Amino acid sequence: MSDKPKLFVPSSWSRRRFLRNSATFAAAGVASGVSGFPFINKLPVRAQDAPLKFWQFYAPGGQVKPQVEWFEKMVADWNDSHEQKVELEFVPNKEYINGPKLATAFASGQGPDVFIISPGDFLRYYNGGVLQDLTPYIDEKARADFPESVLATRMVDGKIYGLPMEVEPMAMYYSVKAFEQAGLNENDVPKTWDELLELGKKLTTPERYGLLFQTAPGYYQNFTWYPFLWQGGGEFQGADGKSAFDSPATVQALKFWQDAVNSGAAPRQVLGNGANDSVANLASGYCAIQNVGIWAISQLKNNAKDFPYGVFRLPTPANGKYVTVGGGWAFVANAKGRNPEAAGQFCAWALASTEQGSVDRVATWCTEAKSDMPPRDSALKAREAAFGEGMIGKFARDIHPGTRAEPRVPPEVYKIISDAIQQTMQGGADPQATASAASQQLDAYLASYSGAPLL
Amino acid sequence: MTKKPSLYFSASQVTLVRLVWMTVAAILALMIIFPLLWMTSISFKTAQDAFSPTLLPAAPTFGNFTYVITEVPFVRYMANSLFVSATVTVVALFFHSMAGYALARLRFPGRELIFLAIFSTLLVSLPVIIVPLFIIVRAMGMLNTYAGIIVPSVFNAFGIFLLRQYYLSLPREIEEAAVIDGAGYWRIYWSVILPLSKPILAALAILFFLANWNAFLWPLTVASDQNLWVVQVGIANFKSEYSAAWNYMMAASTIVAIPTLVLFLIFQRQIMDSIKTSGLK
Amino acid sequence: MSSRTANAAQPRGEAFAGSEPLHGPMITTAKPKFKRSRISSRHQEWIAGYLFVLPDALGLLVFLGLPMLLSLVLGLYEVDGFGSYRFVGMANYAKMMSDRLFWQSAKVTALYAVMLVPLLYVCGLGLALLVQKTNRFNGFIRSMFFAPHMISLVVVALVWQFLVVDKIGVLTRLASALGFSGISLLGDPDFALFTVVAVSVWFLMGYYMLIFLGGLQDIPAMYYEAATMDGAGPFARFWYITLPLLKPTSFFVIMISMVAAVAGSQAFDIIWVMTSGGPANSTSVLIVYIYQQAFGFGAFGYAAAMSSILVISLMVLTGLMFLLTRGGRFNYD
Repeated sequence: MSDKPKLFVPSSWSRRRFLRNSATFAAAGVASGVSGFPFINKLPVRAQDAPLKFWQFYAPGGQVKPQVEWFEKMVADWNDSHEQKVELEFVPNKEYINGPKLATAFASGQGPDVFIISPGDFLRYYNGGVLQDLTPYIDEKARADFPESVLATRMVDGKIYGLPMEVEPMAMYYSVKAFEQAGLNENDVPKTWDELLELGKKLTTPERYGLLFQTAPGYYQNFTWYPFLWQGGGEFQGADGKSAFDSPATVQALKFWQDAVNSGAAPRQVLGNGANDSVANLASGYCAIQNVGIWAISQLKNNAKDFPYGVFRLPTPANGKYVTVGGGWAFVANAKGRNPEAAGQFCAWALASTEQGSVDRVATWCTEAKSDMPPRDSALKAREAAFGEGMIGKFARDIHPGTRAEPRVPPEVYKIISDAIQQTMQGGADPQATASAASQQLDAYLASYSGAPLL
Repeated sequence: MTKKPSLYFSASQVTLVRLVWMTVAAILALMIIFPLLWMTSISFKTAQDAFSPTLLPAAPTFGNFTYVITEVPFVRYMANSLFVSATVTVVALFFHSMAGYALARLRFPGRELIFLAIFSTLLVSLPVIIVPLFIIVRAMGMLNTYAGIIVPSVFNAFGIFLLRQYYLSLPREIEEAAVIDGAGYWRIYWSVILPLSKPILAALAILFFLANWNAFLWPLTVASDQNLWVVQVGIANFKSEYSAAWNYMMAASTIVAIPTLVLFLIFQRQIMDSIKTSGLK
Repeated sequence: MSSRTANAAQPRGEAFAGSEPLHGPMITTAKPKFKRSRISSRHQEWIAGYLFVLPDALGLLVFLGLPMLLSLVLGLYEVDGFGSYRFVGMANYAKMMSDRLFWQSAKVTALYAVMLVPLLYVCGLGLALLVQKTNRFNGFIRSMFFAPHMISLVVVALVWQFLVVDKIGVLTRLASALGFSGISLLGDPDFALFTVVAVSVWFLMGYYMLIFLGGLQDIPAMYYEAATMDGAGPFARFWYITLPLLKPTSFFVIMISMVAAVAGSQAFDIIWVMTSGGPANSTSVLIVYIYQQAFGFGAFGYAAAMSSILVISLMVLTGLMFLLTRGGRFNYD
């Protein structure tokens, strides 16, 4: 956004450059006959001093102003004090996560220099060799400031490849009005799965569902399902590296969601953006209890101010222990970008420096721009008051302890698990048979997998 | 129906049939635009009210429209879309009618082969070729430019095919007069074929314009600069990480739909006009 | 014939020999009488043909043909999405044979097309016949029929998602009132594909109406007049005049809607927004699966191999149609 777009040519375009590019293209096409494929990665003539591109999805004109401003301020602060400039570029959220924009850019060697990823994407990018090792730029003291559980899914062989900007644990939200109508209050929140199902049925009316889980297939659905798997002691990979998916814990977790739908307490389809959207589902009255993350606090504050709600932690199965899952995005630098060194420094400077500005930045993001748990202890301390009161306080005290980081899995594993959830929850398939079949597929895949370990 | 004397119905019966006919059409039309009415309705609702299952907004507001126009560079997006769509439409119609004419009315070796090759490109959809296409466009230095959005969008076998079919159905005599007069091919194309193509060109103009006005995937992929965003990318941006501002999205879509509606109504009249004057009947 | 000039692609007014066009203002002054070209008139027609086709052919070659070719080659490689390409020969095709989801998606694609194509034909033609007469009222109704096509598919699909949502969706309530209570139109694998087909028909039929209207306008009115004189009723007129004379249009509509159903970006958009291929892959058509493999998994090689199969099957299908109809030419020529 440095200058106005030209009608037909980019600012750096020249006839000679065009010819050179065409020639390179043609030559590379010929050369490719002997070595590899004609998709050329190092085509663009990259100027060293061009600003680094930082891709994310908090675009101006988006919904939450403080989020956009946070990004803009960060980049402005960096540019004030550093030679190598950074420039923000935006990709609409849904396309960022699921669209062709990033994949196309990376496949053609045109990826951004700095970008953000979720744990679900980590292995794909790491195994593709595009994640820059950030460890050299992070002070030992700063590193100790990040709890191990927060960093683990962004590390391989003791090296850090991504810096988390937030931790977003999952919980259950309920509508106070719906509770009151049913003669219930905050003391009636369910502790076990059975109680939750019972309550869900009780709160179901011809106009409303008692309970709501994510129904659309995707990374998010898997993410919200994992805690129910873990609570019974389930895992998808055992210590021996083989699939551990064919277990009673898997079967009971699959059956739990299936029962919720079959009993009529939970819908087969959710409203709005999905089950991560509390305004569309809970505040609109479509459901009485919703499985959603910590971000719903700011969501409801911004878009449904007068809606009274309560939060409780995920119920557990009879034989299980409490655990929830924590998601969140991380800054990463492109190791094949135009200046990976500077890109790495930028990430570390922004989120993992011992300077007060860096700590404040993390704290501000998690309190003012969003309503998240901070990934750094010092940030939690810096805003002790803010993290101690209201719903956030409830999360900090009651829900967040016991958070396990969102697992990182290759896309193929995601798909196998996703299909298992879909087939049982909506397709009515037998949980045991589904778990066994999925486990076989997992084994087949894991046997041929050669990348960083799944976590 | 009313003008011709009917062999089957009396005058009053004809009126009745016509009335029933019109009623059926009107009811169908209402059913068809119902989802669009719903969209318009949401654009007047507040964020909290957006998902209420009633058609009429509880407390109608213009706030969404104000937000879309003032808080977001939406006018810029509209201008971009207009420029891109109009350019693609004009250039595409010109090239396609030329190709369609040649493929239908001129005889040259390899014609069928060329036609089949052109037709076969119809079987390829964008998601399938987006990566190679991106690389080609980059090699031509067109990333992040209007040209990058426009040029690849021009070429589409659909229009060529439709025009060829249309030209095949024109009677031979139409050109023959011109041929006897000694007109060249360009002149036949320009002065005989093109004027006769007005109805089909008008129809295609609408389709091309709409397709590009609503295009999303390619403009998104080729242009990262926010100044180059088209309306659909702007609308997609109302979906944030955890929620979609449906009220803004619907307000933006309603605004975006207005030019196309107007366009259709205008072109609709032109189609009728050109049908009357094209001398086909 | 003999006085035609060679260069057909020259700008207007430069290379015109002979007399006036049939239409437009008459320019009678200064007719340059060109020398008869040395190129024979047959060759002139050849050159003219090539020149007329050239701009489009070139553009299609560069922006569709070349990518398609690259895609075909890509199908022989294993790709990680980050610049590594490893030649694997036919391995991607072998993988396809044993990929359960590929076959499932192929089945869903076939089902989707088998439902969509006839429905679009009937609905498109039906709407066209309904508003065939050109008058103000019909002009307005036509615009309404076509209106769905004017809104971005992504947004319309969202609205539809809401109209058919469990329990409170308007159509779900309607179904409830008709005795089908408790059904989930998009969340039940047994219904989702039908719902998606219905929305696709709703979105696309106005488009096909327009094409049919174009075809209907081309049927000379005198045929109908003559038939009416002979005592043919509305149904006989439709059966013996309209349908046979609509053959080229029908050919086009069937062919295009088939391509749209199998490889079309509109079908993709509807499904991607409304269900993302779910529930339980029940609406996962091939193009959705290809998209997932390419952009979700970075498996560009495998995706390209599947695309190639898709394009080749479509080529065979359309090729057959061309053979059967002699290039869609029917009674002409």
